[in-house]
Amino acid sequence: MQEIRSKSFGLTSAQIFFWAFVLSCALAAILIGSFPLQLSIATIFLFAGPHNLMEFRYFAARMPVRWGRSRLFYSVGISGVVVLTASYLILYFSSGNWLWSLESWQIYAAGWNTAFVLWIGVLFYLRGKQRRKDWSIVFAAVLLLAALAWVVPQYWSLALVYLHPFIAMWFLERQIRRTRPEWLRAYHYCLLSIPIFLLILWATLFDQPNLSEETNLFWRIGQHAGSEVLPFVSSHLLVATHVFLESIHYFVWLLIIPLVDKRAVPWRLKDVPLFSNANGIPRIFAGFMIVSTVIAFALVFGFAVDYTTTRDIYFAFAIGHVLAEFPFLVKML
Amino acid sequence: MKKIFCIVAITLLLSTIAFADLAKPPTPNGTRGIETTLDIRLDANAKEARLIIPRSQIKQLRAELESLDDGSDNTATIVGSSGISRLQTIMSGMFLSLAFVIGGVWFVRSGRAETKAVKSMVALLAVSFAATSATFVFGNAGPPSEARSITGKMFTPAVHMYGFGWGKIKLEVSDEDKNAVRLIVPNPPKTTASPSEE
Repeated sequence: MQEIRSKSFGLTSAQIFFWAFVLSCALAAILIGSFPLQLSIATIFLFAGPHNLMEFRYFAARMPVRWGRSRLFYSVGISGVVVLTASYLILYFSSGNWLWSLESWQIYAAGWNTAFVLWIGVLFYLRGKQRRKDWSIVFAAVLLLAALAWVVPQYWSLALVYLHPFIAMWFLERQIRRTRPEWLRAYHYCLLSIPIFLLILWATLFDQPNLSEETNLFWRIGQHAGSEVLPFVSSHLLVATHVFLESIHYFVWLLIIPLVDKRAVPWRLKDVPLFSNANGIPRIFAGFMIVSTVIAFALVFGFAVDYTTTRDIYFAFAIGHVLAEFPFLVKML
Repeated sequence: MKKIFCIVAITLLLSTIAFADLAKPPTPNGTRGIETTLDIRLDANAKEARLIIPRSQIKQLRAELESLDDGSDNTATIVGSSGISRLQTIMSGMFLSLAFVIGGVWFVRSGRAETKAVKSMVALLAVSFAATSATFVFGNAGPPSEARSITGKMFTPAVHMYGFGWGKIKLEVSDEDKNAVRLIVPNPPKTTASPSEE
């Protein structure tokens, strides 16, 4: 008797996720490596505002209505975001003022960096206490970082620029653990592919001539990527590396996080405790969302009218979203 | 409370006007200095290196330095030759010390220091630290003694590869030569071994 068996070949969702991630990264690396300045302008124009909106939406969905045992943690987290953002903006917008000497500006910047790492240390410590674990070793680590912030402030600030995109990847890892554990292994392979793409980019671009600095915008893009701090490295390589990592960061917030966490889908407001819970603040929440959406559109309009100025203003205020990530990230540990 | 708030608000508002009316500080006009000529002489009889500066040029230099002081350019007193200010050094040293103290206390209190694996790790770290320090010491070893004293040997090809040298020098003021700064470099003749030593 003859038996007929049909064998189907199918990819699991985790495998599709892995290949989609790797192919997108490959395409991004080729495009960004070829046109770093153009892609820097385009990605910020398209994704800067929307990704901030998505981050705000994600954090709002994670914020409990009653803080309970986490009252101290959230108080320290939110007050830290407000105070550090305000002091950063003072530092940023007064940097061109002649009343500030270079030395006083450097001291203020190092002081801000110290306050920033100490704040993160306190957040870790409080989270450790909540989990009944001794995480006080984090203070040794943050004091070491504070020492570096005083010795090499320029490298320290540049490190923040390059490390920020990885925070989104860490968020995604924690989120996948919670809501899509079957993707975790595939995601770890995705993370392993990033250094490979970076190595390919560096091997291809290390001997490229520096990018044009003929306009103020091009100079600002290069400076943001560290062309002044690392003058011996091709600015083509630096800008391409920065744009590549930032693009992954945008990609994670805009696409992958809503894909793995349904609560992060913008229109699913019933899953947001602050909006749907009986003790929530639906009107205030809706008001914040509308204002945030308007700001995102205003940003696009601003980029269209005066890209350079809007870019400077955006990156000054963007520190708020960078800081806001930390309390929520630490809370997920 | 309202009164205090109003007073603070008005003070802050007025302070911006006051600061806005402050005159902008004058910008320094480039680097100060005087142009002169350096005359280097190798002297077999000289016992020490001497830099002789004409008195007239010292006066010019003093005048330039005084005008520099009036410009209150005190950068040199704040920032050292390494580009790191004294405050930066103090703060980073303090944070580094605190980091090691807190890390050490945590490590001892946690009881992790008792395990074999950690003991081996500490020993490995100590050896690595010693090896790294040795590399730094040898890597930063100074040039030969010829480049560390101002003598005629400083001008030999063997020292040229370092591209720099230094040594003690005596600064003198002279009324004799009015045009050039003179550098007297000791150049003792080569001693040959006496027949009795052979």
